[in-house]
Amino acid sequence: MTKKTKWFANGYLTLVFVLLYVPIFYLIMYSFSTGKTMSHYQGFTWAHYVALFQDARMIQIALDTLLLALLSALIATAIGSLGALGIYATKKRQTRNALLSLNNILMVSPDVIIGASFLIFFTFLGIGLGFGSVLMSHIAFEIPIVVLMVLPRLQEMSTTMIDAAEDLGASSWQVLSRVILPAIIPGILAGYFMAFTYSLDDFAVTFFVTGNGFETLSIEIYARARQGIDLEVNALSGILFVFALLLVVGYYLLTQYTAKRQKAGVKRP
Amino acid sequence: MSKPIITLKHVYKNYGDTNVLHDINMTLEAGKFYTLLGPSGSGKTTILRTIGGFVTPSSGDVLFDGQRINDLPANKRQVNTIFQDYALFPHMDVYDNVAFGLTIRKTPKEVIEKKVLRALKLVQLSGYEDRSISELSGGQQQRVAIARALVNEPQVLLLDEALSALDMKLRKEMQVELRDLQQRLGITFLFVTHDQEEALAMSDEIFVMDDGKILQSGTPVDIYDEPVNHFVANFIGESNIVPGKMLSDYRVEFVNKVFECADAGMKPDENVEVVLRPEDLDIVAPDAGKLVVTIDTQLFRGDYYEVIAYDDDHNEWLIHSTNPTKDDQRVGLFFEPEDIHVMRYGESEQAFDARLETYED
Repeated sequence: MTKKTKWFANGYLTLVFVLLYVPIFYLIMYSFSTGKTMSHYQGFTWAHYVALFQDARMIQIALDTLLLALLSALIATAIGSLGALGIYATKKRQTRNALLSLNNILMVSPDVIIGASFLIFFTFLGIGLGFGSVLMSHIAFEIPIVVLMVLPRLQEMSTTMIDAAEDLGASSWQVLSRVILPAIIPGILAGYFMAFTYSLDDFAVTFFVTGNGFETLSIEIYARARQGIDLEVNALSGILFVFALLLVVGYYLLTQYTAKRQKAGVKRP
Repeated sequence: MSKPIITLKHVYKNYGDTNVLHDINMTLEAGKFYTLLGPSGSGKTTILRTIGGFVTPSSGDVLFDGQRINDLPANKRQVNTIFQDYALFPHMDVYDNVAFGLTIRKTPKEVIEKKVLRALKLVQLSGYEDRSISELSGGQQQRVAIARALVNEPQVLLLDEALSALDMKLRKEMQVELRDLQQRLGITFLFVTHDQEEALAMSDEIFVMDDGKILQSGTPVDIYDEPVNHFVANFIGESNIVPGKMLSDYRVEFVNKVFECADAGMKPDENVEVVLRPEDLDIVAPDAGKLVVTIDTQLFRGDYYEVIAYDDDHNEWLIHSTNPTKDDQRVGLFFEPEDIHVMRYGESEQAFDARLETYED
């Protein structure tokens, strides 16, 4: 690469990141502004953060959102991992591809459609809207993500390892619990984190299936932003951004740790 | 003859239209070292997996200690396999890898510890218990795989190209160690390899395979000295193979000359192939030789010279000589009648053995 193109590449990369991050930092910057609007910055204050932490309703919603994300990700990871095992164990190539395609379609179909269909589904079954309906729909749209994170791990696992375990007397259950699961743990962890963030992130599906009594942060922020500019929302955005940052760092450290503990794979000939 | 531990009777394996195993019959006696030798794709690993319980034969019987085990799953069989890529569990340390089979069988902790330490000592890996698999060299991983199998005290150990991932020097060492281990423990070993030197060095008995069939079985010496056909002669060691004609018993004609030989029992004037091993050919003065050849090239191989020469009819001759020669020199080749081995076209092993019976005492 010549000096000129390198300069261009670096410049382009910087521009992209600036465009991506500037709006967020702009928002966060005004969360420290003493004014009431985002028209111009008026000096530093923690006031909006203080107000946010005194807002019991907001705290409750934040905790609900967190609980929803943790719980739905946990259940989705369990179901999705089993699903990945099922797809992996499917011998017939056409069936396997069909299953995988069905899984991927759920990944790419628009949230609005998923949300609307869930709403119709729940109303049809007479299931009341609230925490339960939101939880179920979150689990549903998280499962395909988990499958996609776990499946590659299974596929890169040496098949002779399973043979070896059987050869040494392990039953199918023991092969699964002692050999396969430890080998795909990184994939399961990644799946859990992805599912967790998808749940935190989701607006459209939740918007359809949530009832009166239950709200998530994204719904609440949307509602407040519609009522007019409130810098408490900015403070909340700031906190969420830092939280996301910590999540990424935490995930990175966790994967580093597991990678160090099991430098995956035996040296190949 | 000690009692057979594993018997394969008319075993066939088809995948769709492809025939992977074709009428395999073999008997393994307890406590011996057997080798399945053949090029890749010859079906030797399929035989191993059939015995290990990973492949169900399309027809035929697999017997273990007289019991039919065709339908017994792998985890219930008293055989253990060492896989080509060792298949160690990367998330466990050396100790847990070796202990795996015993923990599955719910052996008491103290017994496991004693047995694992003994197995590791057997493969000279004492003190490596806490190492992770990725910290080990190829040879050490190989030993862990052996210890992991031996700790279960199997009656038969199956080794699938177990040494092919190691470098030359280590491989030679492991050959000696494996052979030694087998003799000390008295376990039956069935070793799969495509390396004929390895097979000759280690085995009590070799099965030579090609294209899903066993072509010949016997001791290394038998197979080397009396290959049943062109393929076996070529696969086991280097050979000079020339077409010839069996004039009568103990007289064979090749390269337009008539020689005395040690083979008999064929039709008069039958077309045959003649095998002469390169190390059986001695370079002598032209007038003392049975054949006269011109040296073309020679390669120094360390312990011998590999000489390539041509006779006046342009047949190539490969000679292993301890002394160097000169290029383009005319020399004689001398060999004894016993050095000539005659092979009939298309003769099966059974027919070959039966013919040998008729004239050998």
